[in-house]
Amino acid sequence: MYRLTPEGKRYLEKGTPEVRLVAYVREKGPTDVKHIQREIEDVSVGLAWALRNKWVEMRGGDVTLVQMPEAYDVEDALRAVEKGKAPAALIQVLLKRNLIEDAKESMQTRARKSVRGDVGALTEELIKTGVWRDARLKPYNVEATGIMVYPGKRQPYFAFLRDVKQKLVELGFKEYAGPAVELEFWNFDALYQPQTHPARDWTSTYVMKSPVAGRLPDARIVSAVRTAHENGGKTGSTGWGYRWSEARAARLMPRAHDTAATPRLLVSGIDIPGKYFNVSRCYRPDVIDATHGVEFNQLGGIVADSNLNLRHLLGILKMFAVEIAGVERVKFVPSYFPFTEPSVEVIGYSDALGWVELGGAGIFRAELTEPLGISVPVIAWGMGIDRLAMFALDVKDIRYLFAQDLAWLRKRPVRGGI
Amino acid sequence: MPKIEISYKDLCALVGKRIPLGELKENVLLQVKAEFEGAEKKGSDVRLRLSMADTNRPDLWSTEGIARVLRGHYGKGGMPRYTMKKSGVVVKTDLKVKKVRPYTVCAVVRGLKLTEEALAQSIQLQEKVAGTFGRGRRDVAIGIYDLSRIKSPIYFTAAKPDALSFVPLGFNDKLTLREILKQHQKGKEFGGLLAGASEYPVFVDSDDSVLSMPPVINSEHTGKVTTATRDVFIECSGFDLRRLKVALNVVALALADRGGQLESVDVFIEGKKLVAPDLEPKEAFVTLGYVNELSGLKLSAKELTSLLKKQQYDVQPKGASLRVTYVPYRQDIMHMRDVAEDAIIAYGLENLEPIMPKMPTRGSLLPMGRFTHRLEELLVGLGLQQFASYTLTNKHFLFDRMRVSHAPVAEIANAQSENWSCFRSWLLPSALEFLAANRHVDYPQKIFEVGDAVVLDESKDTKTRDVCKLVIAITDTSVSYEHIASLLDAFMKNLGLAYALKRSQHNSYIEGRTAEIIVGGASLGYIGEVHPEVLNNWGLEKPAVAMEIDAEKLFALMK
Repeated sequence: MYRLTPEGKRYLEKGTPEVRLVAYVREKGPTDVKHIQREIEDVSVGLAWALRNKWVEMRGGDVTLVQMPEAYDVEDALRAVEKGKAPAALIQVLLKRNLIEDAKESMQTRARKSVRGDVGALTEELIKTGVWRDARLKPYNVEATGIMVYPGKRQPYFAFLRDVKQKLVELGFKEYAGPAVELEFWNFDALYQPQTHPARDWTSTYVMKSPVAGRLPDARIVSAVRTAHENGGKTGSTGWGYRWSEARAARLMPRAHDTAATPRLLVSGIDIPGKYFNVSRCYRPDVIDATHGVEFNQLGGIVADSNLNLRHLLGILKMFAVEIAGVERVKFVPSYFPFTEPSVEVIGYSDALGWVELGGAGIFRAELTEPLGISVPVIAWGMGIDRLAMFALDVKDIRYLFAQDLAWLRKRPVRGGI
Repeated sequence: MPKIEISYKDLCALVGKRIPLGELKENVLLQVKAEFEGAEKKGSDVRLRLSMADTNRPDLWSTEGIARVLRGHYGKGGMPRYTMKKSGVVVKTDLKVKKVRPYTVCAVVRGLKLTEEALAQSIQLQEKVAGTFGRGRRDVAIGIYDLSRIKSPIYFTAAKPDALSFVPLGFNDKLTLREILKQHQKGKEFGGLLAGASEYPVFVDSDDSVLSMPPVINSEHTGKVTTATRDVFIECSGFDLRRLKVALNVVALALADRGGQLESVDVFIEGKKLVAPDLEPKEAFVTLGYVNELSGLKLSAKELTSLLKKQQYDVQPKGASLRVTYVPYRQDIMHMRDVAEDAIIAYGLENLEPIMPKMPTRGSLLPMGRFTHRLEELLVGLGLQQFASYTLTNKHFLFDRMRVSHAPVAEIANAQSENWSCFRSWLLPSALEFLAANRHVDYPQKIFEVGDAVVLDESKDTKTRDVCKLVIAITDTSVSYEHIASLLDAFMKNLGLAYALKRSQHNSYIEGRTAEIIVGGASLGYIGEVHPEVLNNWGLEKPAVAMEIDAEKLFALMK
């Protein structure tokens, strides 16, 4: 009586290596052995038998089909053994290929048999019986590269964003977020950006086709924002001096900047002192090229405390430049944002990049904070996070942050973090 | 932000001082919030390309305007002064323009001897002021004319599209107003601003000669200003008098800075006389305490006064405050804060020492973000590659290619490309799009993304809601339902969640090989073998299995 060895069982399930090889070559045509090895198992065994059976031949390094097998004797024989029969003609072959074993043979005997000559695999039998002591374990080509393995990995840009968030948490910042489709009220009006501002035009931001308009917040906030725009209200300002339209403010738009999430945060109440950040997907119509996308991420936030002043703002910007962008030297230049005054841009120097713009900040205007019920100075800041990601990941094309290139993702080494 | 080009030599001449180029680039231009974009040598001169950060300061968008600030910086400062005479020119506004372009303000500048550079600056300034500050000429359109060819009074009126004709700038023949909109390049560009109007606005003089059709084009006869032109008539037309006055001041004063004599024009609007330009200084108050509190500096009253003068303010003490007066084009000054910022800029940000505020705060991530991080760790552990995709897509990808019928989604009105014209409502199309881009990459391919979709939700103030979803897709020469089912099993077990698979139907998956993933009686999403027609639609050649679940529902179940 014979029974299938584990390998025999495997061949019965999947087909013998030579048949699998022939099937592969038949589908793919002549193929390099190394390539086949990456795709299917047991190629060297399969190749030896397929050559011997004259099913394939080697032509210029490629395995090439000669003819399909007329019969599948080995599989048939294995099936017979499994059903308790012993197909006389092939027993010796199957035994030699270690696909079947004598059912009556003891583990000891089988182990003994297997150590005649050099031993390939160190088997469970050899270990259990101690017969390994008499075996000569054949040396392998340990300098050869193994079969290619693609591990599960994080997307590098998303991993970078995670690192940045983690860093901000370490620096004592709380995360907040707003919706992707936003009311113009929160994206612009509550930030004291006038309805006649060029940035609010059709060509500079997206507007929604459907849904078109949303619901404004409670009347007290709406009215405070309206008066700030129209005449300054109680903020000590003249305001922009135009008729503010509620219908315009109620329109919906894909959020155009991360700061859109901030007035919602201010209205919901903040800790004082408080440090906050958000990473938001933003949307703007643009011609898509190596440096522009219609969809991108922005990082920004606020720092609020009584007695904060411009020198603190510079201190915070410098900290971001050092901790997140990793530059050593910084320079500050006056800038302009409709919602902050004074406004500052930070430029950082690194040997690799020279001087580059890193981000901006300012102190929120009173016309913004007063209507939202905030009475302490609020520093608003933002960093060009996609640009920093491009530097960190060493990609020259912003589209590669959302790379649709699996081979590239697989090749990229895992980064050490920021 | 507007980008302008100026001449280095011209700038130095207007400032009255030779400023070393390096110093100009590194420091001086910061005073006008100009970002240096580049420089080209041109003969003995250098052309400077600048990006002007302050979109609320149109007065800075020319060599003359920049030079005006720098003269204050290098000289004794204070508010720049201009004398104004009366031109005798009268402009009468007809009631007919009320609906289409209600207001105009005008000025005259005499005795000009413009160089080519000065002329180019004036044209650039008009373009930038009308383009950016005037929002593509909609709010503010500007015209400059050869005064010697115009006979006062001038009428600002409106005419039927076929009732009037004139020779537009750059043309030889008369065209009707309608023809100009169709045939002239500027007509095609700006004609949209007159869409729907039954009559078009025009300036016509007392000889019935048409000056222009704002906001579109000037006439060839009067609207052509050259270096030979000595006296000019300037008009700004639009909808908001306040903004028009600012634009007129900016354009007229730039020419006055070139040596022209400014003269006023009487504009009659509905019978009321308005003398333009309005150069009446404006005033504001600022306190030393406020500036020091805002800046973190310890300035003395004397220092502050000197800083403000550099920024073109006249300063007088008034009780505990300083009263500052300034040229009225500074419409950006709305609050004490704006005056304080000017003083800080004059002081120089480079002279401020940064300090780190000491604030005892505790950082934290949003709970959902923490949770998705855990999910991503688990999925990476299961051997899947994370991919990143856009939340903007199109209905063809979301529905047609997926064999599902169209449903309402959040759609963009002004998409430049159909490819990005709506928000995705689910993630499986993004996953298949990714696989389709990688057909020739080694198999098997096992990918996932945890990302946002946007769904309609009437209960929200934005009528929409962001939903975080998770998608997994596997494709290989042979792959079947059991592969994805075992992955789901490992995923759920490792989250400690009991779940059930319920036979179901979804058009994107093969019938009989689709199930709904049920946890605690709620459906989290679908799992199955992707339908071969869907594979064909995406150009995929190997079988694929996939699942998508609502990560927020999952999170709620785990709490």
